[in-house]
Amino acid sequence: MSHGTRLRIRGGAVHDPANGIDGAVQDVCIEDGRIVASLPEDAPVLDARGMVVMPGGVDIHSHIASSSCNHTRRLLPEERVPAPAPAGLAHGRSGTMASVPSTFTTGYRYAGLGYTTVFDAAVAPIMARHTHHELDDTPCIDAGFYALMGNDEYLLGLVDRGERARARDYMAWLLGSVGGYAVKIVNPGGVEAWKTPQRNLTGLDQALGSSRVTPRAILETLADGANAIGLPHPVHIHCNNLGVPGNAKTTLESMQALEGRRAHFTHLQFHCYGEGGGWRSAARELIAHVNAHPETSVDVGQVMFGPAVTITADGPVGQMLYGASGRKWVNVDVELETGCGIVPITYKDKAAVAALQWAIGLELFLLADDPWRTVLTTDHPNGASFLAYPQIIELLMSRARRDEALGKVNQKLLAGSALLDGLAREYTLNEIAIVTRAGPARLLGLAHKGHLGVGADADITLYDRHEHIAQMFSAPRYVFKRGELIVEEAQLRRAPAGRRLYLRPGFDEAVLPGVRRHFEQWGTMRFDHLGVRDLPGAPLGVG
Amino acid sequence: MSTHVVPDVTCLGCGLLCDDVALALEDGRIAGMAPHCDLGRAWFGDGQVPARILVRDVPASFDAALAAAATLLRPAEGRALVVLGPGLTTSAVRAGIAIADRLGATVDTATSPGAAEGILAGQRRGRASSTLGEVKNRADLVLFWGADPATTHPRFIERLVATKGTHVPGERTLLSVRIGEWGGPTAPVLTLDEAQEAGTLAVLRGMVLGRLASPPPEQAGLATLAAQLTAASYVAIVAPGEGRDARRAALRAEGLTALAQALNGPTRCTLITLRDGGNRNGVESALSWQAGYPFAVSFGGGAPTYDPGARGLHELWRADAALVLGDWRAIDDSALAALAEVPSVVVGPRASEAPFAPGAAIDTGVAGIHEGGVAYRMDDVPLPLTPVVDGARTAAMTITALAEALGPRGAGA
Repeated sequence: MSHGTRLRIRGGAVHDPANGIDGAVQDVCIEDGRIVASLPEDAPVLDARGMVVMPGGVDIHSHIASSSCNHTRRLLPEERVPAPAPAGLAHGRSGTMASVPSTFTTGYRYAGLGYTTVFDAAVAPIMARHTHHELDDTPCIDAGFYALMGNDEYLLGLVDRGERARARDYMAWLLGSVGGYAVKIVNPGGVEAWKTPQRNLTGLDQALGSSRVTPRAILETLADGANAIGLPHPVHIHCNNLGVPGNAKTTLESMQALEGRRAHFTHLQFHCYGEGGGWRSAARELIAHVNAHPETSVDVGQVMFGPAVTITADGPVGQMLYGASGRKWVNVDVELETGCGIVPITYKDKAAVAALQWAIGLELFLLADDPWRTVLTTDHPNGASFLAYPQIIELLMSRARRDEALGKVNQKLLAGSALLDGLAREYTLNEIAIVTRAGPARLLGLAHKGHLGVGADADITLYDRHEHIAQMFSAPRYVFKRGELIVEEAQLRRAPAGRRLYLRPGFDEAVLPGVRRHFEQWGTMRFDHLGVRDLPGAPLGVG
Repeated sequence: MSTHVVPDVTCLGCGLLCDDVALALEDGRIAGMAPHCDLGRAWFGDGQVPARILVRDVPASFDAALAAAATLLRPAEGRALVVLGPGLTTSAVRAGIAIADRLGATVDTATSPGAAEGILAGQRRGRASSTLGEVKNRADLVLFWGADPATTHPRFIERLVATKGTHVPGERTLLSVRIGEWGGPTAPVLTLDEAQEAGTLAVLRGMVLGRLASPPPEQAGLATLAAQLTAASYVAIVAPGEGRDARRAALRAEGLTALAQALNGPTRCTLITLRDGGNRNGVESALSWQAGYPFAVSFGGGAPTYDPGARGLHELWRADAALVLGDWRAIDDSALAALAEVPSVVVGPRASEAPFAPGAAIDTGVAGIHEGGVAYRMDDVPLPLTPVVDGARTAAMTITALAEALGPRGAGA
């Protein structure tokens, strides 16, 4: 099936929470790659009786296509496993599986999981051209990326001088120039400090050097800037002090600093360790704030047990993990903008801290009042591979499975955990549909994604019901991408190019001469060579 | 005579990829460049390349050459060699890897033995590096370790060192360590025999880590150097990134990587290895994202495997056919001689001049001279390429057309 064709998906149990449909048995009609209200009676039919029908999955935070991902691929040849081209695919490409799969394999595996939209969460603007190349070679998924700005030297200068309007225009120009979708902040100010004798910023009001730049000022300026531009997704924040005991204080202060402003706090689990010395969960405190503030959203960054690799723009975190583990370490400072730290890691269920991290993620899910604002990620591949999503879904839907797993992990740091208090909550299929597609799509402002209403992209996943939940979500029976059947009987049959999701926001061009002077003076490429042109498709709308 | 100047051209003459070059064109020929650079001038030449298509040394049509190439390559499925040479845009490289995947081929690249050892050291230890702008903006101490960029990367000093940086408003400290015949741009603070290099790096690392607090008198110079390094705010170590002496390169890469990582405690440090141009880094990047490995990849088992100890061009007896993409002139003489014994196809600049009697040869333009696209700097920053001279058909288009002529995997002979 391709564009221009019609199909009626008949008789499935539809979970489309964005349209208030919770398991109703009804038809879903596709025409020209979109959902339509109805089709003529003689339209082709796919019998979906007994199946669960959901929109295609939407991953709001993953690391799949960036220079950092490519550094990771090169760093760890020993973990790579050959991944032949899918047998049912006419022009399929082979690749390798690993913490960071090769690009074609990434697209195939996401599609095989029923995911059809993915965002890379951290791209240095001068490396954006590389990310577009990788996405050109990542089929099956619509994809975009977030541009790193929280340590951009020009922007920090504007923050220092309090030039908020100019900061807004610079953000809009930069995002549009490189073809990004959202603004990313990583360790605000701390990555710039990493490149100086200061090394890091650990307090929200700690000044960067002798300037007036603080993490708080960066958060406020960039959050206001993104919202004033009208970006569909608010500023996407990786807080200061990731992975450090007691960091929940910084996280909460960051959330409080942005009260009343739309803001997304990412991989919250890694920022959720309580005060008082040592390691303990602060899930209750942080999720209470999220529950009480509808302008705030989070993704979890769930840890699962097994090998992983930490990929981050947060240079000091890379050094910390290298110091703690003694394993391989990549650090790459990126001029004028950001950094990159990579260290392989293994989460062991018998290790106390890893068990705590695993438990905190589940606590955040289970204590969240609003699944629309607490969505599923592993921060792939930092907490686990995206391929672990089915296992996480099972832990959320089955208390018995969760308790069984809980009984096997190191209990040393779990005293006081909400999990041990007997959290009985079990996610419903509709709640799973929210945290894996409807919620992320809404947080991303993707009006045509994450739902099955008329006019939506016909990205649809059909699951056979199965007593083992993880198995059900591991191998969807059918997946449609823009109306094209790409997974059939759980086998990948087609691998179309995905759509590039990017913005070209408007801005006041008066900002450009100053930016040009800065870039020409301190950069190492011509200013006019930064922008990425000739992207596939049209930019999405802003505002 | 018509003359005009094309500004902001990206030069692939070395790994710096200077993108501020102004080319003077006279009657469609490149007549000059500014700022002048010997390597750049050699790279651009006069911009004239042949535009022939040959099948068994006889002029042929494009379609006939593609058909001949496909006929020659298909029977070698599972036993073919694909060479990704320099002078290709990254899009052309991507298309070339697709053919290698389709053929189940072994891939060889223009990654020199020295560069390969640097990659392998990175796979053992990791990296402590940066983009080039951090040298310019932050490095208050630059240590040239057996490297003088004046000969290999002529504008390195001008663009990155002899200029102010955001965090380096004044003079920088420039130090050179001479290793054998390889000196740096300043008088050496240390002079080492090649045999001393690895051991010296280990001692220097120990000093940086504080494990050798009281060095013996004969190592006082090293102690001074260690103190200078740790007292700096941001150190850039500049070292050779190419070379044919694999053993020496392996020891150096391992030692320098370990030293640079050790310095990222008491201070900050980036290790910059001087790589050649021609988009070598683009080849390694594209192989990494498509296959998972930067070089020495084989698709022979139906999916990529990695054997960095084996280089296809030097094991041509394994191949039933070879497809050379890019500039064949980067291939060494022994491999060129071996290619004459294997049925081959060449697609790239000056393919028609290849000395090993290819069964089909299709001349293309050169990346960044005749063909637009993207190439990678030696720090893996991708830069746009703009065609400045009319030339032969593009390599990207030609390789894509060849892939279509081959048909899907298993199409057989």
